[in-house]
Amino acid sequence: MTTPSQALPPLALGQIPTLLRGEPGPIQLWIGDWRASRVLFYAAVTVAGTAAFGLVLGAWRDPMQGVYTAIKFPLIVLLTAMGNGLLNGMLAPLLGTNISFRQSLLAVLMSFTIAAAVLGACAPLIYFAIWNAPKFSGALAGTALTIHSVIYLGLVAAMAVAGLAGNVRLLQLLRRISGNEGAARRTLFAWLAGNLFLGSQLAWMARPFVGAPHLPVEFLRPNALEGNFYESFWQHLQQIFQ
Amino acid sequence: MNESQPSATPPPIPPTINSALPLGEHPDDRLPITGPVTAVEALLRQPRRMLFQLRQSGAAKIIAGLLLVAVLCAAVYGLVVGSFAGGAQYWIAPVKIVGGMVVAALICLPSLYIFSCLAGSQARLAEVFGLVVGLLVLTTILLIGFAPVAWVFSQSTNSITAMGFLHLAFWAVATFFGWRFLKNGFAHLSAQSMGALYVWICIFVLVCLQMTTALRPIIGTSEDFFPKEKKFFLAHWFEVLEQRPAQPASATQR
Repeated sequence: MTTPSQALPPLALGQIPTLLRGEPGPIQLWIGDWRASRVLFYAAVTVAGTAAFGLVLGAWRDPMQGVYTAIKFPLIVLLTAMGNGLLNGMLAPLLGTNISFRQSLLAVLMSFTIAAAVLGACAPLIYFAIWNAPKFSGALAGTALTIHSVIYLGLVAAMAVAGLAGNVRLLQLLRRISGNEGAARRTLFAWLAGNLFLGSQLAWMARPFVGAPHLPVEFLRPNALEGNFYESFWQHLQQIFQ
Repeated sequence: MNESQPSATPPPIPPTINSALPLGEHPDDRLPITGPVTAVEALLRQPRRMLFQLRQSGAAKIIAGLLLVAVLCAAVYGLVVGSFAGGAQYWIAPVKIVGGMVVAALICLPSLYIFSCLAGSQARLAEVFGLVVGLLVLTTILLIGFAPVAWVFSQSTNSITAMGFLHLAFWAVATFFGWRFLKNGFAHLSAQSMGALYVWICIFVLVCLQMTTALRPIIGTSEDFFPKEKKFFLAHWFEVLEQRPAQPASATQR
């Protein structure tokens, strides 16, 4: 028997709540029924959610920074999904989850869509918080640096929540597909490790997102290939607690 | 009082509906809600009836009516808040309270919908909006209940801090009951976990508290409609606490 969710066309917005709820029946059916329109729809939702989040993140430093971040953030997410697509597709059967390359790509894209929906929903909240912060132009150097660090940590926290939501649903799906808890966990862990590795480096190269107060507003930093994400995160923590 | 026909037995107490019973199973759930007054009564006395009606096809009309009630009640409570300082605050306080309440709800609505989906709830966006409006109505209706007390204190004290604390306390109590309605609503919408909802209510409370600082002054007065300086609400509260009590002579200083 076909449920209403399973009967949804590939471009139906109603797929998003189904993905968020992690309804196994329809999702497994969609995974098995590869359609380019569905992939494009998920990519569009991912772009919309992450772009909205990026726009508000950069808005405090400068409206132009918001526009830059709104362009870069979706790019990083999609490039991570595509860049690791081949590796993910090969790792899945090796680790006990017998799905095709296309299915693995769609599964990862689904989890990114969930994360993007969470980020998009958080965008008004983040904007409200930023709107309440002292404006960059009027803030003292120390205050501006603290606000920048708080926004940066907010970004990490929101992404952690969104990533967690996406991956919990992905694990449930993998568990259902493989029928094996261990295989599902191994596959998810391998995919996560790969996506984190590539995604964090892409994010580092595409900085700035929030826009450091003492640096100009730019699409990319001239020293885009110097340092790494974890080093920067540690510095921001120190700035807040010093 | 009519003593010629004394009643031998008191009227029976209506039986309590088992909360685990699915919505619509009890005949009372299906009683139609015909207008805002019935809607408010249902919210207070028969929340299951309201929850059931919010899932029916005519829910948009009920939600619109409830929103109107919430706006009116918030405006009336705003008048009471404005009565502390008087003058222009008679219209500024209602406008800020209504505006702040609606904007806070709209800011938090997308996250509530996403969180509810993540919790496994089957609620549609319109239903979630209806639940949020229900929360606002219950909160503002209860604030109306507190309004006479707030007015008496407004007329008898000169301390902005005391009034601020009082209004916050009333709002906290009212919001608790609104939150309870929201929680019951989600329990009937197949939500498998309430964790996300607890996180959301924390976010909603923080947004509302920050809104009071973002739209300050609501109780006192200022030459500007909006504050020039952005502040975190806790920082603002500590600053107000450190200030000396306002002078009683002029209401414009309050």
